[in-house]
Amino acid sequence: MDSHSFSPESTGLRRAGVLGLAAASTVAGTREMQRLLSAQGTSAPEVLLLVFFALCFGWIALSFWTAVAGFLQSVFGERLPGPRYPTVDEEGVPLRTRTSVVMPIHNEDPAAVFANLQATYESVAATGYLDAFDFYVLSDSTRAEAWVAEELAWSDLCRRVGGQGRIFYRRRTDNTGKKAGNLGDFCERWGRRYDFTVVLDADSLMDGRTLVKMARLMELNPRTGIIQAPPLCVGRTTLYARLQQFAGRVYGPVVATGAAAWQLGESNYWGHNAIIRTEAFINHCGLPVLPGKQPFGGHILSHDFVEAALMRRAGYTVWLMPELGGSYEQPPPNLLAYAQRDRRWCQGNLQHLSLVLAGGLHPLSRAHFLMGVMSYVASPLWLLFLLAGLAAALHDRFFLDVHLLEQPGLAYDAPGALRLFAISMGMLFTPKVLGLTLALTRKGEAARMGGRLKLVLSVLAESVLASLLAPVMMLFQSHFVFGTLLGYRVNWSSQQREDADLPWSEGLRRHAVHMAVGAGLFGAALLVSPGLAAWLAPVVVGLLLAVPLTVLTARASLGTWAARKGLFLIPEETEPPGVLERAQGITEEFAVEPVPDAVERVLTDAKAHALHMALLESQPGLSLDTPPAALESARRKLLGGLAEPLSAQEKVAALLDAGTLAEAREQRLTRSVS
Amino acid sequence: MDSVTTMTSCPSVPSSIWARPQSRVALDSFFRGFGFTSEADLSALAAWALDGYAAHGAQPQSALGLARARVETWLAGVLGTEHVGTSLLSRGRAAFVLCDVASRGARVLMQPSAPEELCRVMRAAVPVPAPAQVTTVMPEQHLTLWPFGEMFRRWFRGAAPDVSISR
Repeated sequence: MDSHSFSPESTGLRRAGVLGLAAASTVAGTREMQRLLSAQGTSAPEVLLLVFFALCFGWIALSFWTAVAGFLQSVFGERLPGPRYPTVDEEGVPLRTRTSVVMPIHNEDPAAVFANLQATYESVAATGYLDAFDFYVLSDSTRAEAWVAEELAWSDLCRRVGGQGRIFYRRRTDNTGKKAGNLGDFCERWGRRYDFTVVLDADSLMDGRTLVKMARLMELNPRTGIIQAPPLCVGRTTLYARLQQFAGRVYGPVVATGAAAWQLGESNYWGHNAIIRTEAFINHCGLPVLPGKQPFGGHILSHDFVEAALMRRAGYTVWLMPELGGSYEQPPPNLLAYAQRDRRWCQGNLQHLSLVLAGGLHPLSRAHFLMGVMSYVASPLWLLFLLAGLAAALHDRFFLDVHLLEQPGLAYDAPGALRLFAISMGMLFTPKVLGLTLALTRKGEAARMGGRLKLVLSVLAESVLASLLAPVMMLFQSHFVFGTLLGYRVNWSSQQREDADLPWSEGLRRHAVHMAVGAGLFGAALLVSPGLAAWLAPVVVGLLLAVPLTVLTARASLGTWAARKGLFLIPEETEPPGVLERAQGITEEFAVEPVPDAVERVLTDAKAHALHMALLESQPGLSLDTPPAALESARRKLLGGLAEPLSAQEKVAALLDAGTLAEAREQRLTRSVS
Repeated sequence: MDSVTTMTSCPSVPSSIWARPQSRVALDSFFRGFGFTSEADLSALAAWALDGYAAHGAQPQSALGLARARVETWLAGVLGTEHVGTSLLSRGRAAFVLCDVASRGARVLMQPSAPEELCRVMRAAVPVPAPAQVTTVMPEQHLTLWPFGEMFRRWFRGAAPDVSISR
């Protein structure tokens, strides 16, 4: 199948515009840098400096031109060329297809998960198209407590909304392939029942109208494999999260629209808040296990990019559609949680390096792999650029004849350097300016973000804070990249999703090295000249203030205070969409009772027991996965009257064995009667 | 001791229904699983389960079998034929417990037909974890990671294939 057959006519022009201008800018910037560096000849550190500059500048240039494309696309307000959109008449026609909405979860807070699912379910019901949708919670939870809490929350949800037979719950005992394996397992069992599958994340929330729109677009475009609705970060109260929510709301759409404008039918899939053509996914997106050992071999960790590439290889298009709206997720509550998530994603993205040259892929799929790699490698490149610059300055300071610098024509072109710096900064901040411009000019939007003045102030404050936090993230990501390449093991635990304060001790423990690096950089710069130290000040200040920045931005009280002052407000906070408001309301209205001990709960609570036993019986053979030794020792403790608590493994073993649970409950009941 | 028999104490069932202690223990345990706790309810349910089958109720297993059959018949009537099958008892029991039907007393099981409102509530509470499976295989995709290397390998028949591993 011709993998280029679905691109609209303007594709070449659009791509040449963005990629060509990005390449031209990079060449021009690098030549200017080379001219500046070669004033007194070129030393080895300067050659390295130039290479790192070219890579970093190229990355900035691509973001810049993508944002410009996004701005133009937004201003002209045209739909992306390519897909067929429904007419007004077609929008009223019943859906002819069936769609499953799946939410893979792994040891998450069931209150938030099921509140979001209920809000999404009710939102779909409100459209009148509920009959076309089924919902699945696909649990990979390994903690017994999470498992039992999920069962109870699922049962409550079904009864609350009358979702029996439409909202399903399945738990895997074997977590092979992590999230991708979880989704694959769903496809192999129930995938053939559905035309399309909407993949959600544990913190995803989607408007029913968006889901219906996506299903309709898939119906109308039979060669479309995936439609990604970019999720907007919402729902958190910590200052750090509110900064991300604000940035995502003001600058995000410009960048996403720009990416969609030039990537068109070769866009990317982000793993959630997207609809996929189930049959094509089953037939063409079964992930291979890569040869070799980690970090590049083994199971594919970041499955989404690879699935998009395979879908495209099979002849189906992948679209990013920012205009869909109604797609939400939650940002991490603080910098450390963000870094923890990045550590996972970093290894997954670096693993894609081994796929860049894989046979049969579309060139843009390869580009997506490289862009994913660059989003992490840019940090160590920036660090190396700084270090190479420092090394070059130290080299000139200690090894160059000082009289050379005084000769006309050999002195540094300070105004030229300043000009290049200003251009770099301008390109870096342009997406923010363009996003702000759009927000200021759109009717009513600025008012819903605190008013024009507050909006501008918020952008300025966000830019300052983001600049101060950037050096810390640079060091975190550099550590992850080097660590991954050196065989760092990634622990795929679920991320922190609560708005809890961070203790100062935790901040100090995580950032001690960062502060030391900041002090070292500052000292080395001072050795050269106070001027260089001043140039490095933004980086050094960010590193030296890492602890208070992390701890204070993790505070919900500061986030709430900023909201009261009208800072970092987003329209979804001032006038929340119905689905968001409903999810919040459900969380407050229907509190999920915590499960401190899963086995104890199943043995003492008649409802939990009956429900768990019914679910166990519906999945026969589950107990075969239980290690016999764990079950044996669990039985000894439960039935032998030992007061010893069960280990995590013993709890899971007991919960998988209906016979043991029945015997133990009977024993408890008899004991209580007598 | 096998020869000792106990008479049920519920006035609503015939006083001629007798159950051995072991059978009674098994039946009590079974009905406690549905949320019944009072002695009066448990006695009445034991008698209801064994009504007309006194001869078979001599052994605990037989008594339990009778009780299961009775309850399954009742559940099938309430939940409809949709759930009839191997999991009727466990799913029905879950719905029964989740709806706290036991609080209505043992009489609820003994009436010829359950109230419509109860049927509706119980049907909505039956846990249906997943629909019937339509099993398929998601074939692992073949990726040649470095096609040029693969071409050389084929020419020289050296080294391991540079492709994804089959499961």
